[in-house]
Amino acid sequence: MAILAVEGISKSFGGLQVLQSASLEVAEGTITGLVGPNGSGKTTLLNTIYGLIKPDEGTVIFRGQKISGLAPYRIYDAGLAFSFQLPRLFFQLTVLDNLLLAARNQVGTSFSGALFRRRRWRRQEAELARKALQILELLGLVPLALHATGELSGGQRKLVEIGRALMSDPVMILLDEPAAGVNPVLGRKIYQKLRALRDQGLTFLIIEHKLEMLLDFADRIYMMDAGQVVLSGTPKEVIENPVFYATYVGETKNVTFPG
Amino acid sequence: MDLTVYLLDTLVFMGIFALLAMSLNVEYGFTGLGNFGKVAFFMAGAYTYAITAALGWPFYLCLVFAALVAGALGALISLPALRLREDYLAIVTLTFGEILRIIIKAEQGLAGGVWGITIPSAFAGLDLTPRMTAWANVVLVWVIVVGVFVFLQLLINTPYGRVLRGIREDDVAVQVLGKSFVLYKAQALMVGSAIAGVAGGLFAQYLRFIDPYMFLPLVTFLVWVMLILGGPANHWGALIGAVIVEFFNRGSRFLKDYLVLPFDPNNVQFIIFGLLIILLLLYRPYGLFREKPLRTGAEAEVLKWPSSP
Repeated sequence: MAILAVEGISKSFGGLQVLQSASLEVAEGTITGLVGPNGSGKTTLLNTIYGLIKPDEGTVIFRGQKISGLAPYRIYDAGLAFSFQLPRLFFQLTVLDNLLLAARNQVGTSFSGALFRRRRWRRQEAELARKALQILELLGLVPLALHATGELSGGQRKLVEIGRALMSDPVMILLDEPAAGVNPVLGRKIYQKLRALRDQGLTFLIIEHKLEMLLDFADRIYMMDAGQVVLSGTPKEVIENPVFYATYVGETKNVTFPG
Repeated sequence: MDLTVYLLDTLVFMGIFALLAMSLNVEYGFTGLGNFGKVAFFMAGAYTYAITAALGWPFYLCLVFAALVAGALGALISLPALRLREDYLAIVTLTFGEILRIIIKAEQGLAGGVWGITIPSAFAGLDLTPRMTAWANVVLVWVIVVGVFVFLQLLINTPYGRVLRGIREDDVAVQVLGKSFVLYKAQALMVGSAIAGVAGGLFAQYLRFIDPYMFLPLVTFLVWVMLILGGPANHWGALIGAVIVEFFNRGSRFLKDYLVLPFDPNNVQFIIFGLLIILLLLYRPYGLFREKPLRTGAEAEVLKWPSSP
């Protein structure tokens, strides 16, 4: 059963057709990878799903609800979370505050709630802070929790960006290259955590250039080329398809599928 | 004029400008909205006070109504302005101030037009000496300053304040994290405008006469100087910035009587302010007071966490 269905999305910027009737489906409780050469439209597709870009044509259905055309904060309400390719953090706020801002159903984020339901939100803040610290523990960022994110390195910023997506308790997360700019060991650790979350029922759609990660962790892979989804299947099927080599790896060298 | 009364007069103006600086702080310091039409909301408050006081309303109701009218104008201008990029917001608010001033100037039936309008003092019935009236005004203004200060500190150190700061840093990211930035920006403009409206009401009540020439765009820039000097996103900064700039303002007027200069020191103060801003932006871009980290109780949990250093 597909939790997310992207149907015939087209988008052009000026004369440049970035997406040409791209379609894909993500099954619930899976890690689905999205690969393709640079400029094939992966990031644009992800941004379109999350409402950051309005598609010219096509629809996005999430859990039976049409979400294309909705503003990003409505799509968040529907249970999706999004992590940017280049971190867009609140650089003067602490790591902790960056995570807390992402939390769902906060009493104290409304004007009246902040003023008149002080005791409620103070208790909630303490709970959410502990939850945020658990996520930071996983990402190895606890010592930096009270530092402004502007002081962090590029890799650490990327981790905070992922932490924010985890913080919102979503049903499904769209991740744009979660392991980019992160050292290999930590990159693997992130994927192991994502797999553990998938086993708990979370769904992921992940853009990734590190093939070894997808081969080890993805349940299904889609490949895009020139704005279209051209290939799909299990990692084994995709990697054995000659089209995959021709468009993405660029050579026909025989790579063996591990395991 | 009696020197004590003059000093009290200075205190009243410091308080009124402190309110304006704090109101700009909500909009610019915390939410990142460059409102260059601050004077419009100040003027709306002043004229609302003048008109309602002329109807015989008690002064506190006039002040509340001044806040409501200015706040409503803030909401109104947020409708077109918040869909625009920051630089356009500055242009829209700046022109809004001038349009409002020209309307009031032209509409003689509304509030006297160019001739201005007189306002009864809030303390008229009490039969006070000028010095007592000045004291009463200082108390009235500073009680409100302290009240607004406490209110804003309570409002800002909350998850709500965190969202406002987030919008200042990156409004798209806030949107992605499930908060509609349009709503928050509109609220920030409303709160800021309402406070500016109260400041306007106090200004009208104190001066007992206002005309459109008191509300030139210069007032807006003076408030900006105060906030940038004091330190955006810190209410102490806004307060102290207002006090310092107003002190300079008065000081240079005094200078004229005691120093023989080949120029008018009143004009020099703008050169000094300009230099001050340039120097500040170069060497201390965050102003005299830095932004304080948010305190919501969440930060205390970090120290209790077993693996924290």
